[in-house]
Amino acid sequence: MSRRRSSLPSSMAALLAMAVSLAAHDRHGPTNDRATKSEPVTFNREIAPIIFQNCAPCHHPGEAGPFPLLSYEDAAKFARQIAYVTERHVMPPWLPAPGRLRFQGEMRLSDEEIQLFRRWAEQGAPRGDAKDLPPAPAFGSGWQLGKPDLILRARKPHLLAAGGTDNYWNFIFPTQEKGTRWVKAIEIHPGEKRVVHHANILVDRLHSSRSLEKNPGDGFPGMELRIESEAFDPDSHFFFWKPGSLPHEEPPGMALRLDPGDDFVLNTHLQPSGKPETIEPSLGLYFTDEPATKFPMLLELQNDPALDIPPGAAHFAVNDEFRITADLDLLAIYPHAHYLGKELRASAALPDGSSQTLIFIPRWDLNWQAVFYYVEPVFLPKGTVVSMQYVYDNSEANPSNPFHPPQRIQGGNRTTDEMAHLWLQVLPRGTPPQQEEARRSLQESLSRHDVVRNPADFAAQYNLGAMLQARGEVSEALLHYRAAVRLRPEDAIANNALGGALLATGHPAEALPPLQSAVQSQPDYSPAHYNLGNAFASLGRFPEAIREFGVAARLDPSDSMAEANWGAALAEAGELSAAREHLKKAVELDPKNAVALQNLQEVDRRLSSAEKQ
Amino acid sequence: MFARRRHRLPVVLLPAVLTALAVLVPLPGRSQFTAKGVVDLDGNAVNPFRAATGKVVVFLFVRTDCPISNRYAPLIQELSSRYEKGAQFFLVYPVLAETREQIQNHLKEYGYKLAALRDPDRTLVRASDTRVTPEAAVFLPDGRLQYHGRIDDWYTEFGRSRPAPTTHELSSAVEAAIARKPVAVSAQPAVGCFLPDRP
Repeated sequence: MSRRRSSLPSSMAALLAMAVSLAAHDRHGPTNDRATKSEPVTFNREIAPIIFQNCAPCHHPGEAGPFPLLSYEDAAKFARQIAYVTERHVMPPWLPAPGRLRFQGEMRLSDEEIQLFRRWAEQGAPRGDAKDLPPAPAFGSGWQLGKPDLILRARKPHLLAAGGTDNYWNFIFPTQEKGTRWVKAIEIHPGEKRVVHHANILVDRLHSSRSLEKNPGDGFPGMELRIESEAFDPDSHFFFWKPGSLPHEEPPGMALRLDPGDDFVLNTHLQPSGKPETIEPSLGLYFTDEPATKFPMLLELQNDPALDIPPGAAHFAVNDEFRITADLDLLAIYPHAHYLGKELRASAALPDGSSQTLIFIPRWDLNWQAVFYYVEPVFLPKGTVVSMQYVYDNSEANPSNPFHPPQRIQGGNRTTDEMAHLWLQVLPRGTPPQQEEARRSLQESLSRHDVVRNPADFAAQYNLGAMLQARGEVSEALLHYRAAVRLRPEDAIANNALGGALLATGHPAEALPPLQSAVQSQPDYSPAHYNLGNAFASLGRFPEAIREFGVAARLDPSDSMAEANWGAALAEAGELSAAREHLKKAVELDPKNAVALQNLQEVDRRLSSAEKQ
Repeated sequence: MFARRRHRLPVVLLPAVLTALAVLVPLPGRSQFTAKGVVDLDGNAVNPFRAATGKVVVFLFVRTDCPISNRYAPLIQELSSRYEKGAQFFLVYPVLAETREQIQNHLKEYGYKLAALRDPDRTLVRASDTRVTPEAAVFLPDGRLQYHGRIDDWYTEFGRSRPAPTTHELSSAVEAAIARKPVAVSAQPAVGCFLPDRP
């Protein structure tokens, strides 16, 4: 470096000396002087502090930035480019417009800083005086939150081709913890960060994604995932990675429950880089001993059915709104649209008549989507109407439009379909029982809201049915299960739920057809075989019941109830010693299985009295 | 590295640049030009028009550290094979700060099998009116510029890309040039990484 400085022409050196003296002079003056006067702007004095603070966190080796910005040489060759992208707010990438509510980790330059970049570039990117240069930031390469308690690695890397379109790939990470764990943070290492545009974790407690893999561990393609969950235990945490983001740590008491065998699914958005890349993500899990006492939930507003955007439409508006049924705090927000999204806004109309913008994204860009956490939780009282107002641009002028000429675009899950979704992470207020009641009522209102807006929404019908059944409203639940089955006559889960509800209300004969179609369309779905076994047993058709319980037990060898009922059906059919075997198996699987214990006693009694005769 | 470049800049490059300008000014974009000063990675003078032996000549301006031009590598390679009968493609690395080793690694890493040129006098940059990487220029064998600008509309705004391009300006221009037909569009601004002010 000293060699370079000594090689400067003398006039340049004089200019620099002048700049230094002016800078010394300036220190007491107004801070924006340097941005407006024609005084030289140097890398060492003005530019390096801005770059080290705002650009280097991504622009250093191993991170997402495509080239480093850690030295004068790094920055000088991109000087005009830096001025250009900062003026247009392309960099740093930050979608929300400034508003009253602040988000964590905002990446925004001041107007003064942007002007400094412009002036520096126009002046030929001078280096400045070595003594002005602050030390370059040092970045660790390992886990930012320290050594994780558990590291999950992708079972197989995903090979990303050199070229082609954007690629969405999902990795399944099974877990095998011995007992329930409480997860306070997950640090996502998405693999080659220069090609991973964002990554998002979903918890899959029911292993509903596994069937999408050709072979276990392969992973599977897909932009939008539908993870099945118990209707009253949906996903409630965001685990999101985007370039430059710090891992989010949940506040005390808000850990995620991780049960043995739960899967994590990592959904990644990959952009081919021009050369073949190997994507091998890993997850660092951080546990806490403190079980969750606060249970956030995700409220999802969406209006995909309204998305039918004619070609050429430059301003196509879609809305949705939802009245919240309890006092709650809004913790984070996640707006989502695809390539035609233009302007995304979410707002809250409070019961006192005031309103608040929750987020406003004036120029949506799918490539920089993110979960935004509020610095302070936003209190929303019961009765507040939260709404989303999204605008789409399907004209030629939209630089992200996937089609030329533009085509009619409808709602859907594929990349080139469009979406209108908004997730709000909320935490109900009040005592624990009040919170639980609030969650239940919010969940039910959301499902009703979904069903009303779109009676053809299969998942909404099914979820509402499941929720009503869980709360004992079985006859109303039946209506929605029936609607779900009408929408997807082949769906095993809906048919099984309908059959199960009919069984629970004492209609085993009516339960037979839906249960039979459930096992027909998904022969490896053990709950349907189990319910079908129960239906046959209730009708006194024991040989068929024995067959179905047998299938259920073989499909799920850990199911104590399948063994218990198998044993019971065998006993009813008079096959006492076979019955005894399965009842014993049931007790082995679950020593507290009351049905099995009771039946075992009865079978033993009958067997011994038979021996006595 | 850098210090050396600064020394050379005023002495060697400036006059050469002026020469090129002087040649181009009378007939901008339509002049026939001799690719003076163009060298291969070893510094040997190359005349791409002679090397193309009567074929259409296509220059693709790239740099090793530009993520946008890098994303185009498979397509550039594919187009050069697709049109090899009628057109000779050359990669041009216009950033002088890039070393021979960097460029060689880059060619290998991105699977390029094309000839790579350097343009220390910016003769090609000026003749093609190139501003960014990636940017393409299509010349007839006699040196007349037929098309310059973007490869396609993958990026039409810096920082934003479509999932895939929907127009294919470079292909169309190459096909027209091979057929010796007029091109539909002779220039279309490219979006990418700016060339440094100082080469």
